[in-house]
Amino acid sequence: MTTNPSTPDRAVKPVHRRRLPGIAGILATGLFLVLALLNLIPLVWGVLTSLKAEADLFKFPPVIFGFQPTLANYERVIESGFLQNMQVTVLYCVGTVVAALTLALPAAYAFDRFEFPFRKTLLLLVVASIPLSLGAAALLIPNYIYFTRLGLTNNWFTLPLIYTAHQLPMAIWIIKGTLEGIPRELDEAAVADGASHFDVLRLVILPLSRSALGAAGVMAFVGSWNEFVASTVMVDNPALRPVQPAIYNFIGYFGREWGPLTASATMAIIPILIIFILLGRLIVSGLTKGSVKG
Amino acid sequence: MRTFIKVAMAATVALAALAAAAPSMAQDKTIRMWTFLNPTGTAPREVALAKIIENYEAANPGTKILVETQVWDQMTPKFLSAHATGNAPDVIWVVTDFLGDAIKSGSLADLNELFIKDWSAEQLADNAGAYWDLSLVDGKQHSIFVSRNYISLMYRKDLFEEAGIDPTSLTTWEAFHDAAQALTVKDAAGQVTRYGFATGFSEQQADPSPILPPMLAAGIEPFNADGTANFANAKGVEAMTLLTDMVKEGISPAQAATWTVDDMFEQFASDRVAMIQGPAVRVSTLQAKLGADKVGLMMWPGDGVAAHSPAVMAGWAVGVWSGSPIKQEAGNFVEYMLGSEADKIWVTDGGQVPGLQSTLTELADFIAQPGNEYLAVAAEGSAKFGWLTPIDFAVGGYRQAINKAAQRVLVEGVDVETALKDAEVEFNRQNNR
Amino acid sequence: MHSRLTGVSYVLPAFAVLTLVLFSPVFYGLWFSLFRIQYGAPTDFIGLGNFARLFEDPALGGTLRRTLVFTSFSVAITIVIALALSVWIHKLPPKRGFVVQMIVIIPWIISTVVATLLFRWVFVNDIGLAISLARAAGFGEIHLLNDPNSAMALLISVSVWKRIGYAVIIILAGLKSIPDDYEEAASLDGATAWQVFRMITLPLLKTPLLLVTIVLTLSNINTVETPLVLTGGGPGSATRILPIEVFDRAFVTYDLGSATALALVMFFGNVLLVLGYVRLAKWKA
Repeated sequence: MTTNPSTPDRAVKPVHRRRLPGIAGILATGLFLVLALLNLIPLVWGVLTSLKAEADLFKFPPVIFGFQPTLANYERVIESGFLQNMQVTVLYCVGTVVAALTLALPAAYAFDRFEFPFRKTLLLLVVASIPLSLGAAALLIPNYIYFTRLGLTNNWFTLPLIYTAHQLPMAIWIIKGTLEGIPRELDEAAVADGASHFDVLRLVILPLSRSALGAAGVMAFVGSWNEFVASTVMVDNPALRPVQPAIYNFIGYFGREWGPLTASATMAIIPILIIFILLGRLIVSGLTKGSVKG
Repeated sequence: MRTFIKVAMAATVALAALAAAAPSMAQDKTIRMWTFLNPTGTAPREVALAKIIENYEAANPGTKILVETQVWDQMTPKFLSAHATGNAPDVIWVVTDFLGDAIKSGSLADLNELFIKDWSAEQLADNAGAYWDLSLVDGKQHSIFVSRNYISLMYRKDLFEEAGIDPTSLTTWEAFHDAAQALTVKDAAGQVTRYGFATGFSEQQADPSPILPPMLAAGIEPFNADGTANFANAKGVEAMTLLTDMVKEGISPAQAATWTVDDMFEQFASDRVAMIQGPAVRVSTLQAKLGADKVGLMMWPGDGVAAHSPAVMAGWAVGVWSGSPIKQEAGNFVEYMLGSEADKIWVTDGGQVPGLQSTLTELADFIAQPGNEYLAVAAEGSAKFGWLTPIDFAVGGYRQAINKAAQRVLVEGVDVETALKDAEVEFNRQNNR
Repeated sequence: MHSRLTGVSYVLPAFAVLTLVLFSPVFYGLWFSLFRIQYGAPTDFIGLGNFARLFEDPALGGTLRRTLVFTSFSVAITIVIALALSVWIHKLPPKRGFVVQMIVIIPWIISTVVATLLFRWVFVNDIGLAISLARAAGFGEIHLLNDPNSAMALLISVSVWKRIGYAVIIILAGLKSIPDDYEEAASLDGATAWQVFRMITLPLLKTPLLLVTIVLTLSNINTVETPLVLTGGGPGSATRILPIEVFDRAFVTYDLGSATALALVMFFGNVLLVLGYVRLAKWKA
C-alpha cells in the first residue's frame, strides 16, 4: 500500500507549486505556530506525566522537568494487559480499514458512474447515516438490546462489523468526491477497448483514487481506534476488549490515575503514527500534475 | 495493491484465530462476573480481587472466574438491559444508585436460598449493619456490599499540626468554619495560596453535597415519603448558606463551582486545600501521593446534640443474577468473595473499609498502624453516623441538582432558598414526581 | 449504457452492512421509544408518551439554543482555520507538509476524553501549567470556567482544537485531488492568488467541504465527551447542551424512555440538517 515508485503518477515530477503570497503566508504560518503550541504542550505534558512517580504528579507550582523519571507507569500499564488490548485493536482496525475500503470503493464507483434505480435515494441515505455513526451514544441501550437479541454481541466480529458500518458512509463519500474529478473519458476508453467494469475499477479507478483511499483509510483507522461507546458496551470478554475502555479504566470509580492514564494514551498514539506514516503520505503526495491527463 | 491484499488476508487470519481462541477459554464451570476492577491490573483493589479469585480457583478445581471488566458508570444500566435480554453475567456488582432498580427488576437472586440459610447466628451478626439491611427487601437478601464508601471530611494532618488545630476540636459547624478560616493561607499579594475547605460543585461526577449531613443531623430527610425532594428546608438553606459564604469569604475556592471530585483531589494533592469533602475509598490513593502520615479522615462535625452529623454512604453491592444457570456456584463464589478470609484481603491488600465486625478486631494491629486509622473511622462512622440513600424510589440526579443550586448561588448570584427550590422542582420533574 | 444490475451489485454489499448495523437499530429504537421503559426494559405500550414528556421540560428550549450557538460557532471557526491551514500545507514541500500535518492532527488522534482532560489540566486548571505561569507573571487569578460566557467560549475553543485535524485531513485530500494545471492555467491568465482560490479551488472543494461541514456539525451536536469532561454543563446551565441532556437522562436519572425519545428526535433533526446542507450546497448526488 505504500508508494510504489513505478506507478505512472509518481513518474511525473511534482510541479513547483506557487507559494502563498506574502501576507496570507505569514498569517497561515502564525496560525500554525499558535496551533502547534496548543497541540504540542498538552502532548509533551502528557508524556512527561507518564514518566512521573505518584508523588511528583501534583506539585504546586507545577514541575516541568525537575523530577526523577520512571517507567513504572508503563510497567503497570503493560502488566494490566494493555499490549493484548492493543494487539486486538490493531486487528479490529486493520480489518475495518480493509473491509470499509473494499466495500466503499465499488459503492462509490457505482454511485459516481452508473445509473440505477433509487441511486439518488440510496446516496442520500448514505449521507444521512453519518449521524448514526456519530451519535451512537444516544441510542446505546436500545442498540445493545438489539445486538444482543441478534446474538451479535461479545464476539470476535462484533466490533470490526460495527466499526466498518460506522466508517463506511464517510469512506464512500470521500472516495466518491475524488472519483468526480477523474475524467469519465478514461473509463469509457477502457470499456471501448473491451475492459469489463471490474477491470475499469481495478486498473483505472483504483490507481487514481489513491489519495482518497489513503484519506478514507486513515479516517477509518483513527475513527475505529478511538471509538469508545460501542467498544465499552458491545463486548465483555477480556480477550476482545479494545484499547479505549482499557485507557478509560484508569479514570475509574476510585479516581483518575494520571500516570497510567497518560502512559496508556501515549502508547495508544503509536499505531496511529504508524498508520499515518504508511497511509498519510498518500494524502500529502496525492495526485500530481499530468496524472489525470490519461 | 499487493501489500493491501496481504494485509487483508493477514487480518482475516488473525481475527479468525481470535475467534478460535475465545471459546477455548470456556471451561466446564465458568462463572462470569461484571465489575469495574481489572484483575490483571495493579491498583490495590485489583490486586486484592486477583488474589481472592486465585484462592477460590485453587480451592475449587474446575471452576473458573471470568471477570469481564466494565466501565463503572455504565455497568449497572447495562446489566439491567442484559437481564432483560437474558444475557447477564452470573455475578454482578451494583452501585447504590441503581440498587433499588436492580432489586425491583427481579434481576438479583435471593442469597438466603443460595448460602445465607446455612449461616450461624455469629456469621449473621458479623455482617449486620445499615448496608446489610439496605438490600434486605421482603425477607430476601438481594446483595451484600463489597465496597463501602463513607463520604466525610478528609484533612491534611500536617497542615492541621502546622496551624496548631486539633482535628478532634471540630465538634460543631462553627468550629469547622473557624478551622477552615485558620487554615487558609495568603501570599504577600493577598492571593490565597491554600484554602481551608473545598468541595467540588460540578454536575459531572457529583458526590453528595455537604449540605446533607447537617440536614440529616437535624432529623430532616432530603426526600419526602413520596420520593419528592426536600432540599429547601430551613436546615438545607442554612447549610448551603454556610457553604457558599465560605466561598464568599475566600476560605473556600470560587473556582470549585466547576470542580469535579477528581479536580478537588488533585488540588488537595497539590497542597492547595487543607480540608475537603472526601470518601474513605480515596484515602489510600491520596496517601500514595502525599505520604501516609499526611492524610486523615474524620467524621463530620456534630450539632451540639449528636457528636457527629451523619455522612452519606454509598458503595458497591454484589449479587447473583437471578437468570444464571449456575446460581449455586456463583453464590458459592460470592460467599467466599465477601467472607471473612476475603474481607481481610480486601482490607490489607486493597485498602478497603472492613465489611465484617470480626475483621475489625482480627486486623486491629493493621488498622492501628499509622495512616490506617481512617479504616476505623469509616467503620465506626458507617455503624453509627451514616445515611444511605433510599432505594424505595429512584433518586438519580439529586446530587447533580443540589450541586447545580450551589453553582447558581456562586456564579449567578441566585438567592440560596430560590436555588434550592428550583433544584427541588428540577429533581421532581426529572423523576416524574 | 452501463448495466443497471452492475451498479446495484456494487452498492449492495455496503448497504447490507449499513442496514444491519445502522438502519435497523433505528427502527428498533423507535419501537422501544413507544413503551414505558422500566429497569432498562420495555414494559407497557404508551404510544408517544415519552415524546410528550420531552416537550414538558421547560429547560429544553435553552438547551437547544445553546446547542445551536455552540455548534454554529464551533463549525464555522473550525472550517475557516482548517481551510487556511490546508491551503498553506498544500503548498509546502511534501516532507515539511507531512510534519506540519502531523502536528496539526495531534488533538484529533488522541482519544477525546484524554485530550480534553489534558487540555483542561494544562490550560484551564488553576494548578496547571498555563495559569500557574500567568500567575507567576502577575496576572492574578484566572478562572475561565466560572463565567458563563467564557465557559462557553472555552467549550467552543476545545471543540475547534480537537477537530481541526480531522477537517485538515479531509480538505487536504480534496486539494490534492485537484489537478495543478487548473490553478496554473488560471494564474497564467493573470488571476491573483485570491481569485484562483475563490474561483477555482473553492468550487472544486465543494464535496470535501460539505462532508466536513456535515461531520463537524453532527459531531458537535452529538458527542458528549468534550462538554462532559470540560464543564459538566456548568456553571449553572451555561454549557448544558443536547448531548449532556441525553447522557443525563440515560445514565444519571436513568430515564431511558425519554432519553431514547430525545435521541431519536435529535437523529431525525440530524438527518434534516444533512439534507438541508446538501440542498443548500446545490450538491448533485
